[in-house]
Amino acid sequence: MTAPAPGFCLTGPSTPVAGLLREVWASRRLVGVLARKDFLVRYRRTRLGLIWAVAVPLVQAAVLAVVFSSVLPQVTTSSGSGRLGSYAVFVLSGMVPWAFVSGALPAASTSIADSANLAQRIYFPRLVLPLVAVVTACYPLLATLAVFLPVALVLGPGVQPELLWVLPGSALAVLLVLGLSLLLSAAQVYLRDLRFVVSAGLTVLFYLTPVIYPLQRAPQVVHDLIRVLPVSGPVELFHRSVGAADPLMWRSVLASVVWITVFGAAGLVLHSRRDRVLADLL
Amino acid sequence: MTAAIELRGVTKVYRKYSDTTGSGILGRLRTRTRTSELVALDAVDLRVEPGESLGVIGRNGAGKSTLLQLLGGVTAPTSGSVEVRGRVAPLISVGVGFHPEMTGRENVHVNGTILGMTKAEVDGKLDRIVAFAELEQFIDTPVKFYSSGMFVRLGFAVAVEARPDVLLVDEVLAVGDFSFALRCFERMNEIRRAGTTIVVVSHNMGAIRGFCDRSLVLDHGRVVHDGSTFDAIAAYVDLASRDAADPAEKGDGVVVESFDIHDEHGRHASHVRYGDEVSFRLRVRALRDVATPFQWLGIETGAGAVVYSDARFDIPQPALQAGQRVTFEARLVVRLPTGDYSAAAALHDLLDMPRSRLLATAPRLSFYVTGRDTVHGAADLDASFGVRDRVV
Repeated sequence: MTAPAPGFCLTGPSTPVAGLLREVWASRRLVGVLARKDFLVRYRRTRLGLIWAVAVPLVQAAVLAVVFSSVLPQVTTSSGSGRLGSYAVFVLSGMVPWAFVSGALPAASTSIADSANLAQRIYFPRLVLPLVAVVTACYPLLATLAVFLPVALVLGPGVQPELLWVLPGSALAVLLVLGLSLLLSAAQVYLRDLRFVVSAGLTVLFYLTPVIYPLQRAPQVVHDLIRVLPVSGPVELFHRSVGAADPLMWRSVLASVVWITVFGAAGLVLHSRRDRVLADLL
Repeated sequence: MTAAIELRGVTKVYRKYSDTTGSGILGRLRTRTRTSELVALDAVDLRVEPGESLGVIGRNGAGKSTLLQLLGGVTAPTSGSVEVRGRVAPLISVGVGFHPEMTGRENVHVNGTILGMTKAEVDGKLDRIVAFAELEQFIDTPVKFYSSGMFVRLGFAVAVEARPDVLLVDEVLAVGDFSFALRCFERMNEIRRAGTTIVVVSHNMGAIRGFCDRSLVLDHGRVVHDGSTFDAIAAYVDLASRDAADPAEKGDGVVVESFDIHDEHGRHASHVRYGDEVSFRLRVRALRDVATPFQWLGIETGAGAVVYSDARFDIPQPALQAGQRVTFEARLVVRLPTGDYSAAAALHDLLDMPRSRLLATAPRLSFYVTGRDTVHGAADLDASFGVRDRVV
């Protein structure tokens, strides 16, 4: 491992993007250590520990499956065979990426503002903070995957290679949160309202994104709108793993990639311009 | 030799945001946040060589913290350039990044990584860190059960073992107990001899004087003094006393022209050595006749604790006549622990006791005592130490 070039010469707030990325790479061990710390601390005093990371989305999925299949059977029965079991698997497959995004995105977006104490006293690229938040959220994602796969095997279509779609699905979900939070975490320092925008936005997105209902059940006119929502890509990839995806799911995946690219690039530019002065506003 | 730290024309301006004044939702969105600017550092030039220890002193708001933040790379200058060679470790409020739920050992790993140590370095130095912090029995205890002293010890031990090229120390050694503070300075001296540059920001003049050969005095973001620590403290005390010279309490009938300290050689001295005989001189001009003037002298520590207060109404001074200029003096031998102090003087008129009338109060005068670094506490009782009995 090569040590980072020691020392610095600062004449203003901006760092070239390449230099910033080099520094982030040099700080990769810091990301790991901080993520592990945040993860351990979150579950240390709880009796059930990581089980909560699985239990919460599982309970949500179960409640949604029961409620929606009894209240709105016409919405839910067209997925697969129409049995409650297969609807439950459909909901769970949507809930795994959704739980990750809705848990990770608020934390990653406010990660810089929330670390004022540390960030004001010692320098490391501020980009490290959203990275830490995303990596921390990967632990519960792995746990929910570990529960989802056996459930899908038992209640769903059984052993088939399609289940492997959860891998690109998970990767896309992680990249999505990373891309969005690159911009949001730095912008949030300047515009504290973003915290609430993200929170409200996620609430709206939960019902607009086809997490708990198949896209085909929504009115035809809004299909293409739904397909370009940011979280649709990962959610459709997960639905694909249980054989219940929108046939045009690639549009959703492409849309997610565009969201990631646009927010990620804008975030990188903002970070590279303001990296050294973000702490001034904390 | 290349400098460890080099600042060229560094200015740092902070924008302070004030509340928006727009009314209603649309007004709020439209009104731009009004900002006012605060110049924290103004055209600062500084060069520190490797292995030097630099003290930074100044009153609150002088720019000390900003300077430390710039040296740590936490913020960038608004103009000018800040260059630091090598790895910087801040010892700023020790234990930043410590999480209460984690054990001492886990926190050492996290903190060491934040300070730029590799895993192998942390593992290799863990025993030394724990030994220096004297936490052998508690290293696997969550740090929320630590006392503040234990916290400081562990944080210090990690920062020093990170072997930075530049160590930034901010007011932290005040927390630990005295013997630990001594060990810290010893340890800091060791790493300094090994080439680490150390910058200390403190209000504790004793610490600065004991540790730094060179000091910087900041005032309103400017360097007003850069040189020997001895002179720096004098410059700082001078600043502080000028600042305290708020309009003196209005007396009646007498105008204070000056109040200062003179040493044995008759020079003005704001820096006094232990054991010196000094005289506090109060020069006044009488606007009218005063029959029975008497003096009052008060000395407080820098923190405001009264050390000495004496109103010698039992020793009336000669009467004053209108228009006369008189210099009163109070002589004493300084037996005070090392530290900063302030003196105040007043002239009263002893009418008929217990009634007296305040004639004039002199502005508070700051001074600094050195020479007996071993003494702490409210008073120096100057004990003589020796062996009384020895049983063989």
